[in-house]
Amino acid sequence: MTFGLLLAAYLGATNVARSRLGVPEAAGGRARPGALVGGSLLTLGLVAALAGWSGPLLRALQITPETFRIGAGIVAVLAAAYVLIVPRPAAEPVPGGWWAALWPVCFPLLVGPEVVTMAVATGTREGVPATLVAAGASLVVLLALGALPRRPLTDRVLLWLSRMLGMGLLVAGLWLAVDGIRDV
Amino acid sequence: MVRRVVLHLTLLGVGLGAFRVAVVPAEVCPAVTAARVEHVVDEAAAWLLRGLGEDGRYLYGYDRDADLVSPDYNGTRHAGVTMALYQYAAAAGHPEVVEAADRGLAFMLDGLLAEGEWQAWRSPGEEVELGANALLVAALVMRRQATGDEGYDDLMRGVGRFLVAQQQPDGSMHGYWNPSTHRSVPVQGKFATGEAVWALALLDGEFPGEGWAAPALPTLDYLARHRDRDMGFLTRMPDHWAAYALAELGPGALDEVRSAYARQLAGYFGIRLRFEAQRRGTGINLLVRWVPGTPAGVGTAGEGIAAIWRLAQEDPRLADLVPNVEDRLACFAGMMVERQATAAQALGYPRPGLVQGAWFYRGYVQMDDVQHTMAGLLAALPVLESREGGG
Repeated sequence: MTFGLLLAAYLGATNVARSRLGVPEAAGGRARPGALVGGSLLTLGLVAALAGWSGPLLRALQITPETFRIGAGIVAVLAAAYVLIVPRPAAEPVPGGWWAALWPVCFPLLVGPEVVTMAVATGTREGVPATLVAAGASLVVLLALGALPRRPLTDRVLLWLSRMLGMGLLVAGLWLAVDGIRDV
Repeated sequence: MVRRVVLHLTLLGVGLGAFRVAVVPAEVCPAVTAARVEHVVDEAAAWLLRGLGEDGRYLYGYDRDADLVSPDYNGTRHAGVTMALYQYAAAAGHPEVVEAADRGLAFMLDGLLAEGEWQAWRSPGEEVELGANALLVAALVMRRQATGDEGYDDLMRGVGRFLVAQQQPDGSMHGYWNPSTHRSVPVQGKFATGEAVWALALLDGEFPGEGWAAPALPTLDYLARHRDRDMGFLTRMPDHWAAYALAELGPGALDEVRSAYARQLAGYFGIRLRFEAQRRGTGINLLVRWVPGTPAGVGTAGEGIAAIWRLAQEDPRLADLVPNVEDRLACFAGMMVERQATAAQALGYPRPGLVQGAWFYRGYVQMDDVQHTMAGLLAALPVLESREGGG
C-alpha cells in the first residue's frame, strides 16, 4: 500500500469530517480543544497499541496477516457504505470536562471497527511507524478542522467531505481485500 | 448517557464477534513431523496399490457409507495416479512400487496408436486426450527417474510429438484428437494444457538439447495471458500443472510475464489453503465456511504451492514469497495428515481396506483425491525436514 493510500485509509477510517460534526463545541462554534486533543491522543494511543501488538494478537487469534487484511478490507467497505448512507453521526450526550475526550470523541466518533481492524492490518504489513504517521496525520487534520470556526465549515461542507472520505475508505478497503486475496 | 455508552459498546462487541466468526475464523494448522507425513504418504500409496487390479486399472472411487465402488473410469486420472506412484517410488525411495505401477503403465501401453511421427494413448471408450497423454509422458519421466531405465525413451519422444502436434499458433492446445477423422478437436481441456506444458518441460529436462522447451514456452505464455479469458473463467484458474511447469523450466526460462504468473499462482494457492485451514465443518463454522474441501482440490493447491516453493528457492525474484509459501505448505501437510482415514477409523466400515489411507469428501473418495494429496505431501516433505533441521 502506498503511503498516499494509507493516509486516505486513515482519513476515511477516522472520517475527520464526520467526526468533526459530532465533536462537542465551545462557544464560537470551535471544537472544545481539550476534548478534541485528548480524544485524538487516546485514539492515536489505541492505534499504536493495536499496530504494535498486531503480530502477537493475530498469532493468538490464529489468523494470518494476509487473511486478516481481507477481513479489514471488508469491514472498511461496510463502514464506508454506512458513511455514504449516513454521513452525519448520531448526536451523543456529552459529559463535562475531560471525560468528553473519551466519550464521545475517542469512542464512538473516532474509534470504530474500521479503525480497530485497519490498525491491526496495517500494523503487520505497512509497519507501526507508517501506521502511526498516517493515523497521526489524519488526527492533525481533525485538530485543524476543530480549530476552525464553523462559518466556513458549514454542515453542508462537512457532510460532503464526509462522503468523499467515505469514498476514499471504500477504495482503500477494496484494495486491502484484493491485496489479501492475492497475497500468499 | 450510560445507556448510549452501553449500546455502542454492545454494538462494537457484537460486530467484532461476528467479524471473528464469519470473516476471520481461526486458521487451524496442526503441527506435524516429517516422519508422520512419510507414514501418511506410505498409507496413501498403499491405498492406491490395494485398488490396482490385475487388468492394470485402479479403484476409481468408493463410497464408504453406502459401501459402493464406483463403476466410472477416466484415462487422465489413470495416467495421473500411475505418474504419482512413480513419483512416490522416486522421491520416497520405494523401488518395489515400480513393479506395481508398471501394471498401470501396461494398461496404457495396450492402447497406444501411432499417426505420422507421433504416438499416443487412447483410453478405452474415450477420444485421444491431450491431458492423459501429457500425464503418460510425466509418468514415464518419473519412472525413468525412479529406475534409470531408458527403455521407454522413444515412446516418451513419440508422445511428446503428439503433444506438440496439438499446439496451435497462439500457444493454445487442442484437448482431443479424433481417430475417426484423424484431426484434432478444437476444444481445450480444463487442465490438459497445463499438463502438456509440464510434460514438455519434463522432456526438456530428460533430453536436454532436443528442444522440448521451445514449444513449452509459447503455451506457458498462453496460460499466463489468454487461457482464462478464452475459456470463460471469471478468475484466474489456480493451475497446479502450470506451477509444476514453471518450476521444471526454472528461473532461466522465466521472463517477467512468466515470473509474474508464478507469483499470481502462489497467491491463488495461498488463499485456497488459508481458506481451507478455516474450515471445521461443524457448528457455525459449517454455515460460514461449509465442509472441508475436496481432497483433490486441497491436494492440488499443496502440489502447486510446493512447485512455487521449488522455483522460489532458485529465483531471487520470488524469494520474498518463501516464508509464506513454507507456512502454507506446513499447514497443508498438517491439515491433510489429520484428515486421512486411519486404520482405526477404517475398522468402522464394511471394507476397511478401501478406507484406510484415503481422504474422503462427504464419505466418498476418488483416485485423484489420494493422488493429489499424496503428491502434495511428498512435495512438502523437504520443507518440513528443513524446518526440523533448523534450516
